[in-house]
Amino acid sequence: MKVKVRAFASFREILGREREMEMKDGSTVADLLGDLAMASQRFREAAFDDSGQLRDYVLLMKNRKRIDSQQDLKSELCEGDEVAVFPPVAGG
Amino acid sequence: MIDITKDDFSLDDLIKRAKSDDAGAIVTFLGTVRDDGIKKMELEAFREAAMQELEQIEEEAVSRFHLKSLDIVHRVGPLSVGDNIVAIVCSAAHRDEAFQGCRYVIEELKSRAPIWKKEIREKGDRWVGSE
Repeated sequence: MKVKVRAFASFREILGREREMEMKDGSTVADLLGDLAMASQRFREAAFDDSGQLRDYVLLMKNRKRIDSQQDLKSELCEGDEVAVFPPVAGG
Repeated sequence: MIDITKDDFSLDDLIKRAKSDDAGAIVTFLGTVRDDGIKKMELEAFREAAMQELEQIEEEAVSRFHLKSLDIVHRVGPLSVGDNIVAIVCSAAHRDEAFQGCRYVIEELKSRAPIWKKEIREKGDRWVGSE
C-alpha cells in the first residue's frame, strides 16, 4: 500500500516536502518512521535518540489529526493515509 | 474570515469589516517581526491543517466570549523586520469579551496551529521552538 508522508519546518529540510512510501499491509506509524529512518540517517538522528526512542519534539498527524507520538505509534496505516511529521509549532 | 497568505494585509480593512451596530468594542492584535539581530524570517504552515485548527479556535472563541465577529490572518513566506505576521480582530458587545476573545485566539494559535518560524541570521538559521 502507498502512504503519503508530508514534512514541515526542520523535518522538511531533511525529508523533503512530500514523499510516497510503499508499505506492507498491516504496517504501523512506527514502521513508517522506521522506514524513514532507514532511508535517511539525518532523519534517524533528528527523530530518534541513542536508545531508539522517538524524541519528544517529533510531532505527528495522521490524516490531519494529531496523534500521540508515544501512544499511537502502533496504529495501523491504510492505503492513501497521510502522515505529517513536524517539530513543535511556533506561529504567531 | 480566516486566511493564511503570502500577501500583506490592512488592519484598517479588517477593523472596517468588524464594525457593526451591535458591537461596542473591537480589539486587535498585530504580531510583527521583531529585530532580534535577525536578517529575515521565514514562515511556513501546514496550510490545510492550520486552517482546520484556526477554524476550530474561531468556533471556540466566538461561543466562549460571545464575539460578534472574528478575523484571523496569518502570513507565510519570507518576512523582514517590522513586517506584519498575524492579525486578530475581535468584535463584541463589550470590551471585556473582546479583550478576552482576542487573547484566547492568539494564545491558542501559538500553541496549536501548525505554523513555524525560521530565523535567518548571519551566524546560521534557527527554527524557533525546535531546540
